[in-house]
Amino acid sequence: MELLELFRPLISADNKFIREWKSRNKPVLGYACSYTPEEIVYAGGILPIRVLGSFEPPKLADIYLPVNVCSFAKSCLDRALKEEYSLLDGYVVSNSCDNQNKIYDLWRHCTAIPRTYFINTPHSITENALKFFCKELERFKEWLMNSFKSEISEENLKNAIETFNENRRLLRQLYELRKPNPPLVSGSEALEIVLSSMMIPKNEHNKLLHELLDGIERREDLPKEGERLLVSGTVMSNSKILRLIEGVGGCVVADDLCTGSRYFWDLVKENGEPMTTITERYLRKIPCPFMYSSEERFKHVREMVKLFDVEGVLIFSLKSCDVYSFDAPLLAEELRENEGLPVLCLEWEHTLSGIAQLRTRIEAFIEMLEE
Amino acid sequence: MSERRLETLKGFYRNYVKPFYEKAHKAKKKGKLVAWVASTFPVEILLAMGIIPVWPENYASLCAARRVSVPLCELAERRGFSKDICSYARCVLGSLFDGEDLPEGGIPKPDILVASTCACDTHLKWFQVASRIFKKPLLLLDVPYNVESASRENLPNHYLQHYVSQLEDLVSLLEKQSGIRLDEDRLGKTLELSNRTSELWLKIQNNRKNIPAPMGAREAFSAVYFMLCIPGTEQAVDFYERLCDELVQRVKQGAGVAENEKYRLVWDNLPLWFDLRIFQYLENLGAVVVAETFSHVWAGSLDSSKPYESLARKHLSNMANCTIERRIELIASLVKNFRANGVILPTNWGCRMMTIGETIVKKKIREMTGISSLILDVDSTDWRNYDEYGVKTKLETFLKTLE
Ligand code: SF4
Ligand code: SF4
Repeated sequence: MELLELFRPLISADNKFIREWKSRNKPVLGYACSYTPEEIVYAGGILPIRVLGSFEPPKLADIYLPVNVCSFAKSCLDRALKEEYSLLDGYVVSNSCDNQNKIYDLWRHCTAIPRTYFINTPHSITENALKFFCKELERFKEWLMNSFKSEISEENLKNAIETFNENRRLLRQLYELRKPNPPLVSGSEALEIVLSSMMIPKNEHNKLLHELLDGIERREDLPKEGERLLVSGTVMSNSKILRLIEGVGGCVVADDLCTGSRYFWDLVKENGEPMTTITERYLRKIPCPFMYSSEERFKHVREMVKLFDVEGVLIFSLKSCDVYSFDAPLLAEELRENEGLPVLCLEWEHTLSGIAQLRTRIEAFIEMLEE
Repeated sequence: MSERRLETLKGFYRNYVKPFYEKAHKAKKKGKLVAWVASTFPVEILLAMGIIPVWPENYASLCAARRVSVPLCELAERRGFSKDICSYARCVLGSLFDGEDLPEGGIPKPDILVASTCACDTHLKWFQVASRIFKKPLLLLDVPYNVESASRENLPNHYLQHYVSQLEDLVSLLEKQSGIRLDEDRLGKTLELSNRTSELWLKIQNNRKNIPAPMGAREAFSAVYFMLCIPGTEQAVDFYERLCDELVQRVKQGAGVAENEKYRLVWDNLPLWFDLRIFQYLENLGAVVVAETFSHVWAGSLDSSKPYESLARKHLSNMANCTIERRIELIASLVKNFRANGVILPTNWGCRMMTIGETIVKKKIREMTGISSLILDVDSTDWRNYDEYGVKTKLETFLKTLE
């Protein structure tokens, strides 16, 4: 379907929307983690875009970093060093994981990014943490206003919340289309759409999504039927891996990814003081593996398994990603024992080195499911 | 050589470490509350409550020194834990999957686990896994990352508040769990002992400024045990008093730990617990480690009239919880104050905190002090990739460049 083809090019950091935004002299802010409250940024007339890695082996980052470092975070730094992110007017990191926190030092010392900021995201979900996070977000707002000479009014925040929530609702509708067999959109298409939503103004993305959702019922080139799979992991910067899975007979119908469902699943409450409701949404959203505890995330995976009629789960641990690596065996055990589901645990590098082996193992897993 | 060994440290393991585990096991049997503690948690609270703290990290280093850590790591790997996570964590998790023949009978099982996010993700995640295995609660102290590398005195207010209010909540939870009330006086006394421990520890360190240095890294990495694990106790104070006296004597006699001290080194991060003889090897080449960052991050005085706040200040400004600037600043000051002429920067395979940024540290230290550093890619506990010959050659070559 043609409309679906529109999204993939948008995943790039110099897509036409960003160029257009910049041509109006409006700032663009890169962010590292899905705990960055984009509404606050957007409310200030600043475009938040997610800094993603590429699947190319890093060149410049290797000068500074050894091999035992998260290859996603490394790749992001590499792209910044290669000046692929030269359009950014700033870069925001959230206190998510050691890899990000420590590589933040390199962003500050070695790249040409004009300004950086660090949001101290708590790692627990308690009343104390809420209070603290709220204060941190107030500080972040101040920083945005000072650095970009912008005004972030309550009204702007409310509008931003509406626009973002609309996007989340639409993405949820998109995910609904994955429930039938065969699904109306494939896993790789869905991932591309979610990724692109992080790279262009949300109001523009909403328009595209409306159009897509209006026409999709008439789609003729339906994705292939196959073993219904859920993919769990942290980040995937593009759809290569999901295409690989689909190429060997898998049908990815659901995910637990920070660039997938975890990004948009939860909404911001629309009545209430915006900074408070934003704080609550981001702290209480489906937790990433760096949060204490992972039980809520496991629950989300179990729910998805039921909602999307999943037959097998693929767990993708990025090498040297501590937070996810500790969870992986626990999640696998829980799904096998409590849900009776077949699970395949895979370690991978964001550069996709060793992809042939990955393919073989996934193929074997799918064959096993088919029997 | 034997007269060079410090008297106070002879039989350290037998006299202090072993009995510690025996006592903890006994207490557990008697029904006392045992807590698993991660190293950046303010243990003084537990000590003051009479809760028995045990240290999985200490246990991992002990297993490495006894050369059993690798089989334990392998057990964890077979259960699906990645080879790329911290070997401390792998080793300890491995010990939970097989209770046979563990050194000191393993770590006593916890009734409760306490951790802070101060040093690394690993503490949080590893303790979360253990809490799930034991079905015992994990109390977490969520520590803001000190992204300004602010010193104790200059920490943002809301960081302090967040730490303190959590600590207050945590104490109530601990009181509920244990049925023991935290006695303010006793906490005050524990903090005073903790201060005394840390003063003595710093005094011990200061003796090493002397040329020749009377104590090296091997001794320091053993002796830091008190500072790290049971700082607020009479035993710690007593031990450090004796160690300090012995060092003062040695300085008077002009006795150095190396026969012929030629190079003075600063050692960052952890040692190779499974091969502490590497320090002797260095000393035989005339190279003495005169300071470790590890020995300097735990000290610092606490104000017993503001117990929670001063614990907050201490831990929030711990090097592990700060940006690279703090590490650079500490190493540079050690280089200067201890008159060092080289820095060793060992990384640790599964530890991002120790691995990322070493290249910047190296560059900045050179700019600030004119001194070179050597980055060593190693692991503290897992020797499977350890190339002893290669590491020794690197060290030797490095020393030559210092001449
Ligand atoms: S993949 Fe893991 S280690 Fe890498 S940035 Fe994400 S959370 Fe951090
Ligand atoms: S070695 Fe590093 S990762 Fe392991 S517990 Fe210590 S600080 Fe954490």
